[in-house]
Amino acid sequence: MAYENILAIINDMTSNFLFLENGHIDIPTAGKFLNQLEQIVTASASAKMDPLPNIAGAVNTLLEKMIMEIVDRKEGFSAFEEGLTLMQKIGDSYQSTGSYTGDVNDFLSRVSTLTGISLSRPGSAAPSSEPLAADLKVTETSPAATDDAVRTKDQEKKKDFIVEDEGLLKDFIVEGLEYMCEIEVSVLNLEQNPEDKEYINAVFRPFHSVKGVAGFLNLKDISELAHALENLLDRARNNDLKVVSGLIDIILDGADVLKTMIGSLQEVLDGNRDIPFIPDLSDLKERIEHVDEIVEDVPEIKKIGEILIDNGVISEDNLKESLEQSQRAPHKKKLGETLITEGKATPRQVAQALRKQANQVADTSTIRVDVKKLDDLVDMIGELVICQSMIRQNPAVQESDDMKLIRDVAQLSTITSELQRTSTSLRMIPIKQTFQRMSRLVRDLAKNAGKAVAVILEGEETEIDRNMVEEIYNPLVHMVRNAVDHGIESTEERSKTGKPDQGTIQLKAYHKGGNIVIEIVDDGRGLKKHKIIEKAIERGLIESAEAVTEQELYRLIFHPGFSTAEKVTDVSGRGVGMDVVKQAVEKLRGKVDIQSREGQGTTFITYFPLTMAIVDGMIVRIGREKYIIPATAVRQLLRPPRESYNNVIGRGEMINVMGNLLPLVRLNKIFNIKADHDEPWDALTVVVEAGHKAKCFIVDEVIGKEEVVIKTLGDGLKNTKGISGGAILGNGNVGLIIDPEGVFELSER
Amino acid sequence: MDKNIKVLVVDDFATMRKVVRNLLKQIGYENIVEAEDGAMALKTLKSQKIDFIVADWNMPNMSGIELLKAVRADGKLAGTPFLMVTAEALQENVIEAVKAGVNGYIVKPFTAEVLNEKIEAIVAKL
Repeated sequence: MAYENILAIINDMTSNFLFLENGHIDIPTAGKFLNQLEQIVTASASAKMDPLPNIAGAVNTLLEKMIMEIVDRKEGFSAFEEGLTLMQKIGDSYQSTGSYTGDVNDFLSRVSTLTGISLSRPGSAAPSSEPLAADLKVTETSPAATDDAVRTKDQEKKKDFIVEDEGLLKDFIVEGLEYMCEIEVSVLNLEQNPEDKEYINAVFRPFHSVKGVAGFLNLKDISELAHALENLLDRARNNDLKVVSGLIDIILDGADVLKTMIGSLQEVLDGNRDIPFIPDLSDLKERIEHVDEIVEDVPEIKKIGEILIDNGVISEDNLKESLEQSQRAPHKKKLGETLITEGKATPRQVAQALRKQANQVADTSTIRVDVKKLDDLVDMIGELVICQSMIRQNPAVQESDDMKLIRDVAQLSTITSELQRTSTSLRMIPIKQTFQRMSRLVRDLAKNAGKAVAVILEGEETEIDRNMVEEIYNPLVHMVRNAVDHGIESTEERSKTGKPDQGTIQLKAYHKGGNIVIEIVDDGRGLKKHKIIEKAIERGLIESAEAVTEQELYRLIFHPGFSTAEKVTDVSGRGVGMDVVKQAVEKLRGKVDIQSREGQGTTFITYFPLTMAIVDGMIVRIGREKYIIPATAVRQLLRPPRESYNNVIGRGEMINVMGNLLPLVRLNKIFNIKADHDEPWDALTVVVEAGHKAKCFIVDEVIGKEEVVIKTLGDGLKNTKGISGGAILGNGNVGLIIDPEGVFELSER
Repeated sequence: MDKNIKVLVVDDFATMRKVVRNLLKQIGYENIVEAEDGAMALKTLKSQKIDFIVADWNMPNMSGIELLKAVRADGKLAGTPFLMVTAEALQENVIEAVKAGVNGYIVKPFTAEVLNEKIEAIVAKL
């Protein structure tokens, strides 16, 4: 039965082979053959048709080499034919006699000679799965790479070539630089998930693409360097190289060098340079070459014997002897036992060493988990919390007088909220890496600007949700750039004002009230208040300096297009930076504060929630709708008496809250819904605080406080002003989460 | 040789697409459409008739090999000639593509002449 099937495949191959023209197997046919050969190998192996699996395997290897154009076409073709005939012979023989006794060694050695791969003879195991020289490369067929004469000529032509293909080169510069910048972000991910193939790929791809195009543009140096870096990542992808910090450093430095090289092409185009700048690559090349010598940063667990040697209890010779003894012992004694029985160590010393070893194990007893799984887990726990809360709020449970049920439900609530806390903490990672990248950025920027800047990091161990790390990166980069570029003065300016030559930028992180606070402190020139006032009046943002507080004044720099920088540099000062920062921070439900003293420096204080997954909210009702106000924004609740209501001309409706007049916001008007009560003294008032302002929201009812899991509103409604998301409430209803700052802005329109 | 056939160029690197487009034009193919990854290419293939695919191997979302497998698995598209562009002729890559039914492969960087040879060899066999 099996014989027939296998023979049918062989016959099919043979007839296809006969139709091939001019002694050449074209690629589509070769593909078919490869698949058929694979079938034959598997089927004949399970049908025990020795030596057919070997022969089919050998034909397979031969064909692969023919496709790769490693084997001479004519020779290969005739050997392939011989292989097919042989396979047919074996198949026929098995069908008629159930065995094959002929000799196949001639054919196997013919294939071996042709392909340079030694093939196992019949009788030995697993012939087809012989590991192939996978990284074997074909000599390139492109004429550019064939002989030196052509190459030199090409290089001579290089300059003309660039001019000739200017459009293409321009595209390459722009896209290439973009790709190199992407690498920095991808590397962060990779550093945290060194084994994730997707992340390795994300770093690999930009180098790969740059190399490809550079090859066409004859940019030999760029293409070679990109190729070398790409190779490292390829090895990492194949588990041949471990992703450790040493490797990451090489990749980052390599990307930097490529950036410089690609950037210099622009200078050539601009006419500022005759030939592209080629930096000294010897150091980098050397590091790439010696990449295998990089030691892994994870300390290895020491063996018990090594600990005892370290402690001076035994000598190395003692250890060797005892190890041999332990091996020879009839029941394979443990080393500690042998040492004790031989009197080389006391039981106490061994016990101490064992404890030390156990501690080491404890230090490294972490496991890597796919982030996707973790996210799913956190999501599911979020759902569990909702479900738990639905049970708790079910009227049947609430009205029940079954004490046991009530106790059990309470217990369930405690456990779920504990579970939720634990699950969120799983995703927390120290902010260290982000800070380190920042300090690298400061160094680079300072060097470019010709300034001396020191970086001080504080609170690097502060933890933050892994998913937040990437999000906060961009706004932080903007602020750091701003600090280096505009905050810190030039060395001359600093020495004139009696400051130390070297400027300082401090990055601080700490937890405060459910937020992570990140401060960027510089000891530079500080914000020039009078300049901001001038500009703000000129742009009609304020009427006079008296009308605004200092905080409000500084916050004006977050207005789009507002820049007081005198000199526009390539990184900031075009007035596009700070409003982007504000937007980015607010999108994350964070906020930015500025403190500044002219001549002494500026501090940007950013507050970010620890996680984007959950918000502690106050549930309020307006008419039939339910809204969630983030609890951190709620300052107080009150039912104002009629006398505290004022309608101030020019300032709108106000409520007097303990001596302060606060603007009144009618949510029903903003969201266009019908409320039960129109007047504040009939309804309830929630004083909401955001961005240094406080306003009164009128609501019909305050239902309670609840931790809710935030769900986005989907792509279409994502950017709805005033609403930051939705949530399923404890009773199963859906509520919209209010974004206080957004509502403030809406109310001011 | 029919130079009016519609060629789909797939590569995530825009400059690379332009390179291939320029080379194709040099050898007389004017009717060119582009896609930036396998997934986009598949969309294009489903919305218009494509006579020839030139795709890069390494792309995000859907790589060249995934695209090739998807094309061969699709009843309507299965016969579309497919030329795979690779950076190095890595044996495992090439063999995987050949087994998946590629019509030819070409190693970067290549000249217009080599590209022409490859395309003509493939079209001649159809």
